[in-house]
Amino acid sequence: MAKINPEFTKELKSYGAFDVNACYNCGNCTAVCSLSDEENSFPRKMIRLSVLGLEEDIQMSLDPWLCYYCGECSTTCPRQAEPGELMMSLRRWLISKYDWTGLSGLLYKSFTASLTAFIILATGVLWFAAYQGFNPEKLLHYGHYFEMIAIAFVFAFILLPDIIRMWWFTFSKEHSKIPLSAYTKAIGDLFVHMFTQKRTLGCDDSQVRWFEHLILVFGYLLLLFTTVFLDWFGTNNTFVIALGYIESAIIFVVTFIFVLSRVKKEKEVSKHSHPSDWFFVIWLFLMGFTAFFVRLFIDINILNTNIWLYVLHLIVLVQWALLIVPFGKWTHFLYRSFAMYFIRVKSLNTK
Amino acid sequence: MKKKIGVYICHCGGNISDYVDVEQVRKAVENEPGVFLAKTTMFACADSNQKEMVEDIAAQHLDGVVVASCSPKLHLITFRAVTERAGLNKYNYVHANIREQVSWAHSDNKPGATEKAIRIVKSAIAKVNRSESLEPVKVSATKAVAVIGAGVAGMRAAIELAEAGSEVYLIEREHFVGGRVAQFDDLCVSTETGKTLVTRLYDEVMKHKHVTLFTGAEVIETSGSVGNFNLKVKVVPRYIELRCKEHQLQDAIDVCPVQVPDEFNFNITMRKAIYHNYPSEYPQLPAIDIKNCTRCGECEKVCENINFDQKTEYLNLKVGSILLATGFDPYEPKRGEFGYGEIENVVTLPQFKRIMHYSKDKLMYRGKQIKHIAYIYCVGSRQVDGENKYCSRYCCTATIHSAVTAKNKFKDIYNYHFNRGIRTYGKQEVLYDESSRKGDIYLQSFEDAPPVVEKKGDKTIVKITDILTNNKELEVEADLVVLVTGMVPRKENSIAGLLKVPKGRDNFFNEIHMKLRPVETVIDGITIAGASQGPKNIMESMNSALSAATKSFSIVNAGELALEPTVAKIDKENCEWCGKCDEACPYSAFTKIEYNGKFIAEVNETICKGCGMCLPVCDTNAIELIGFTDKEVESMIDALV
Repeated sequence: MAKINPEFTKELKSYGAFDVNACYNCGNCTAVCSLSDEENSFPRKMIRLSVLGLEEDIQMSLDPWLCYYCGECSTTCPRQAEPGELMMSLRRWLISKYDWTGLSGLLYKSFTASLTAFIILATGVLWFAAYQGFNPEKLLHYGHYFEMIAIAFVFAFILLPDIIRMWWFTFSKEHSKIPLSAYTKAIGDLFVHMFTQKRTLGCDDSQVRWFEHLILVFGYLLLLFTTVFLDWFGTNNTFVIALGYIESAIIFVVTFIFVLSRVKKEKEVSKHSHPSDWFFVIWLFLMGFTAFFVRLFIDINILNTNIWLYVLHLIVLVQWALLIVPFGKWTHFLYRSFAMYFIRVKSLNTK
Repeated sequence: MKKKIGVYICHCGGNISDYVDVEQVRKAVENEPGVFLAKTTMFACADSNQKEMVEDIAAQHLDGVVVASCSPKLHLITFRAVTERAGLNKYNYVHANIREQVSWAHSDNKPGATEKAIRIVKSAIAKVNRSESLEPVKVSATKAVAVIGAGVAGMRAAIELAEAGSEVYLIEREHFVGGRVAQFDDLCVSTETGKTLVTRLYDEVMKHKHVTLFTGAEVIETSGSVGNFNLKVKVVPRYIELRCKEHQLQDAIDVCPVQVPDEFNFNITMRKAIYHNYPSEYPQLPAIDIKNCTRCGECEKVCENINFDQKTEYLNLKVGSILLATGFDPYEPKRGEFGYGEIENVVTLPQFKRIMHYSKDKLMYRGKQIKHIAYIYCVGSRQVDGENKYCSRYCCTATIHSAVTAKNKFKDIYNYHFNRGIRTYGKQEVLYDESSRKGDIYLQSFEDAPPVVEKKGDKTIVKITDILTNNKELEVEADLVVLVTGMVPRKENSIAGLLKVPKGRDNFFNEIHMKLRPVETVIDGITIAGASQGPKNIMESMNSALSAATKSFSIVNAGELALEPTVAKIDKENCEWCGKCDEACPYSAFTKIEYNGKFIAEVNETICKGCGMCLPVCDTNAIELIGFTDKEVESMIDALV
């Protein structure tokens, strides 16, 4: 027996812009959705659970991760209830539920909190740079050092526990019932979805979006690898340097397109932008852009006289690594692929 | 026996002639006794054929006409009119149905169909051979209408009748006018209150010198028939004289020691034995509820116009037509129905409206603040096991309107609608939209799995298996459970019994034809309006009130009525009053009279409908039905077999 909680929609509204109460259960959204199927039927079911405030049911559902936001449901909705945006908001809400620190929820719900966090980190970096006397060599050294530490820390203490929590919620009552073999058999799905996002292609007319997103993911992962493990800013290897240029250029060009479409609001997917969406695309753009020019300044040998650029890059990097990656939109990269993985595990088990 | 009968056999395009050989039919009947001419025609009802018929009848001096075509329900009146236009009495026309009864019914057997058509036409010829010219029964009509019930429908009808020029007696059983609508605050979709509507109508009623309003009045005897009804009306006094000082009256109310449940507020409050329902109520004079008055004399001490010497009066009124607008009762849930009567915070929708009326800033009931309200729909309507199979039409809208009103008027209101499908038809749909956008939650179940109301400790829980959430079991902790009760016929409706007004399966007054004759009853001269006929909202009640008024007016306006002459006729010599005809008659058209030293039955021609129910029960065969005499019917049977 589940208890109805009408307050829930109020809370949910701080995670996104939509009018879920307008829904009169016609089900058009689910009918037009090209990704919804009999086993995982959405978004109507999710809207209903949201209206009734059945948090537990939403928390254990993976449906929000199965939606890739083509926006067909929102354009078809006869009551402008914005089901697509609801699914987006539920993903944000789920992220904050998975996050054991509770910081995700705070940053999603409060723009002021987000801004404060960004400012604190920026001040910290500035203070540290000043403390180091704006010495380029030292800053580059610590910057590189920070990257490695941050990745290890964020992964071990934030992302890993959060994924375990996601698993715990998802399999709420069947943790012990699923044999280990199901997990190992399905592992392929995790990586296929993580690196191809092929489910996006299930949405209508999504080929371009999928391709842009795909090269962005690869550009990002490779740049991460290039800077952290091949020490892009420190290397003399022409191939590595060229690789880094290409990767960072891909990042800022593609994110520029994304930012532009969010400004234009022509497509359903880019009509509604939560602050977390802006932070994500803009910071990714800034990352690529500043990295590109930092390397360029190194190559034309003017970085020493323009150390501000590296300080700027470092600020963006720190904010990205300590806010957006662990508590922001970046996590969808993991949760989407783990959702597909968990669904495969479930279906293997039921078979 | 006639000599010049004209027979017309219709092809009906091919509807008849595709299965019935109409030419063979024509040949078979052209030599029947009395037949002068027999023709076939493509469409008997076509203008050209009607003209040809008129010419035939006039030029050939036809004395009887038969058309064999479709059902008489469709064209009997058409061809009767043709004979009248040609100067022949319309009762010399007989209709033979060879479409519904022959070609459509026997499309698989063409020779058989033709044979049957021949016999049917022959039987019609046999009847027309014996037909007689008849003249309508003329009766005078009193140009006055009694309107029973001074609710909004009754008052609207009264105004309309008075404006048209009829004398109107508006008879209200209660001491105050307005009926159920007076109990409503805000209405939808307009923004007026029920009281505003009542006031406007009352003011208009009072302006017309041709409307006489009786309050505290009840019809206790009726006699007569269309055009001339006699009503005996009992008028209970208020025991308060007119032109009384207002403050004294208030004092009288204040000092009255009697407390009785206030029916106007559906018993959620108490009132005194001297009372009015609300301060601005019409007529603006309180009344003493003499049944509950203890005659303690307290009121007389503070108010000089209390007069216990006023007597119950009896009036005799004569009217040409009676318009019934007696309204409805809200359904009273059974004890234990969704916890009603057992759980203290379970109320009905009418009670909830009164609770809202008496709450100021916070919604309060029994000293507790109400925030979470569960509405359970279709209580007493659309019943699976009970008798009320119908939908009460107004309740979905009324509930959603109340829910939205509660949300606007009070803080922190959460509405939960446990429904069986929302029916806010027409313009009322905007309310549903508004309520849902304001965050009202709609939960739905089928009739076989209604919601359950339970008491858990001091909490009231409403549970449902919600079909909108994949049959998930859901529960709400409600501060107040509102049972959305529908409309049922008035429990106390003595006039209906007196007048023998027919009732439908739902026990509301029944019209002659739901679509074509929606405000007339089978009892001539009695029309029905408003929710006495079935669940209606105010707008629909006004529509029916206006059409009932027009219909009643058309009866009394000419001063004389022409009634169908096809009625029962008593053979005075043969009749030995046994009373069986009187028992069989659904209209009470018979009276027992003395004739030549014996008792016989007499038919009131204005009441008799010519239904024929009395004929087979008469042991001495002393009743004939004019237009369907034994001779006519027997000759038809002879032709058929």
